[in-house]
Amino acid sequence: MNEELMLKLRNLKVIFPNAMGIVKAVEGIDLDIHKGECVALVGESGCGKSVTSLAVMKLLNTPPALISVDEQVIDGVELKDYSNKKMQSVRGKDISLIFQDAMSALNPVMTVGKQIQEVFMTQPGMTKALAKEKSIEALELVGIPEPQRRYNDFPHQLSGGMRQRVLIAMAFACQPKLIIADEPTTALDVTVQAQVLEVLSKMQRSNNTSLLLITHDLSVVANMADTIYVMYCGKIVEQSPAYELFKKPYHPYTKGLLGAIPKLSDERHVFIQIPDSVPNPMNKPKGCYFHPRCPHATEQCRQSMPPLREISKGRKVRCFHCMEECEK
Amino acid sequence: MTDDKNIIVSTQNLSVHFPVRGSLPFKKKYVKAVSNVSLNIRRGETYGLVGESGCGKSTFANALLGMIKPTEGKVIFEGKDLNSLSKKEFKQTRRNMQMIFQDPYSSLNPRFDILQIIGEPMVIRGGYTDEEIEERVVELLELVGLSREDLHRYPSDFSGGQRQRIGIARAIILNPSFLVCDEPVSALDVSVHAQILNLLDKLQKQRNMTYLFISHNLAVVKSICDHMAVMYLGKVMECGSTQTIYDNTLHPYTQALFSAVLDIDVDNKRERIVLQGDIPSPIDPPAGCRFCKRCPHAMPICSQKEPELIEIEPDHMIACHLYSGEKE
Repeated sequence: MNEELMLKLRNLKVIFPNAMGIVKAVEGIDLDIHKGECVALVGESGCGKSVTSLAVMKLLNTPPALISVDEQVIDGVELKDYSNKKMQSVRGKDISLIFQDAMSALNPVMTVGKQIQEVFMTQPGMTKALAKEKSIEALELVGIPEPQRRYNDFPHQLSGGMRQRVLIAMAFACQPKLIIADEPTTALDVTVQAQVLEVLSKMQRSNNTSLLLITHDLSVVANMADTIYVMYCGKIVEQSPAYELFKKPYHPYTKGLLGAIPKLSDERHVFIQIPDSVPNPMNKPKGCYFHPRCPHATEQCRQSMPPLREISKGRKVRCFHCMEECEK
Repeated sequence: MTDDKNIIVSTQNLSVHFPVRGSLPFKKKYVKAVSNVSLNIRRGETYGLVGESGCGKSTFANALLGMIKPTEGKVIFEGKDLNSLSKKEFKQTRRNMQMIFQDPYSSLNPRFDILQIIGEPMVIRGGYTDEEIEERVVELLELVGLSREDLHRYPSDFSGGQRQRIGIARAIILNPSFLVCDEPVSALDVSVHAQILNLLDKLQKQRNMTYLFISHNLAVVKSICDHMAVMYLGKVMECGSTQTIYDNTLHPYTQALFSAVLDIDVDNKRERIVLQGDIPSPIDPPAGCRFCKRCPHAMPICSQKEPELIEIEPDHMIACHLYSGEKE
């Protein structure tokens, strides 16, 4: 990992106006991904993680979505004002996306080989025969047995884990500089999840790609991510190097997320739980969005939104009371 | 195992086979979803059933509740063989065994309001007035953390965690003594897992219920279950007390499952065993030990002879040739 930035995102906002009001899905987030780094964006369903990834890829339909961003620089190129057509040349080549549900991300009436081949064919000077050869090679790289035969299979003939591998193969096909993986293992079994994560991190290291991993499960990122951003209701609430976050979480929400994960080494215990659920995005509470669920909320939290403060190098927390909490 | 008075449900050599449609009549093929499973579940405990998708956990649960007629073997609930009961007796017995489903989005009728959903078991049982039903439903709603105002709302108004609470309220309205929880948290966000697991724990203590807890997450099973069984392709591979199995994990499959659990313990990186390949088709399970194709310790005998489930220490049974004493 070096200090050069692969992705620099400043003040990204996405809103969806509808007949009932306005849904502020993403409320001004900043995101930095260095070259070769794996960054994780963690949060519950409905907190805006997937919208963030789609906005970075410019895959959201406008309208209905309204997007504003101050800076969106990918490898030194400002993409803020790129049209959809111009983005087409960036997607796949510079950034690519791995979707959550592999079955619906793949075309059911086309063989998986053809679908990977399609990605290669976008490269200039590519012939069909060479693209086929490269596709088979790509299938082999992600650990699919008998890639020659699998090349002619349709998505329904593959198991869930294999389909996810095909998506990974497609994402890495043109050796993009940045890959966004949106919940790549959520639909999979634990043993298959371990396989897919292993493939993903092997591919990332061998190509020195930057990876943005989006998930709701902190345990998935514990062994993979370098930096973690925790998101709640469209805002970043905590940003930290992975190791330090697991050692000493500051924000009460992060603490809740970590406490909710059962650990093998623990004795039979009662889980620490975060009460209630995520507020309705059309009707977010006043002040700190987390205060109705927070055990330490004070009058100040009910009145105003805390800023994202830097508390040590690389660590930022959006909470008024995190420092006092940690003294205790 | 002994048939002491404490056992509430037991199965004896339970097998469920489904005929494969379209197979030749003289060469009829079967999906052997559950083969020869004998388990004893004691009163008041939580029994964990672990395995990958497609290993027969849910089929086993359905057969246990009499929703599928077993091909062979018996289910004994409170001393009665479920399959020998008359229709009327079965209906009476079945009141004491209920189920919580995996997907709270598809298990609630979207056109029923909450009163109708939770009250339906009482309507089916009959003999209650509308007032009695409403009173009881409100009592249960409060027990699971919802309120009287929710009575006439529809499932679409609730989040996943709240829907699962509604499913739990519906399951316990007739005061069952045995509850099957079929992956009750796997469709929910991690932060909501803890809420649901704590609720189940509270209800069990209050009402002295027995749970069969089906899951593919060993960390959850480890922290809430007293006994557990690990299933692979319809067979029990290892069963016994959870603590004993955790302390002394013997079966290579269980070892792999434990090592696939993603931990947030960043200081203590464990050696991970990543299983290769996927679970084979249950139509033609491999000869010999069903796990032999993926087992890192497979020996020649494993593909010839099926290992028996033997007791290796008190409260710990295992089906593996590594421990059966047969090496050739």
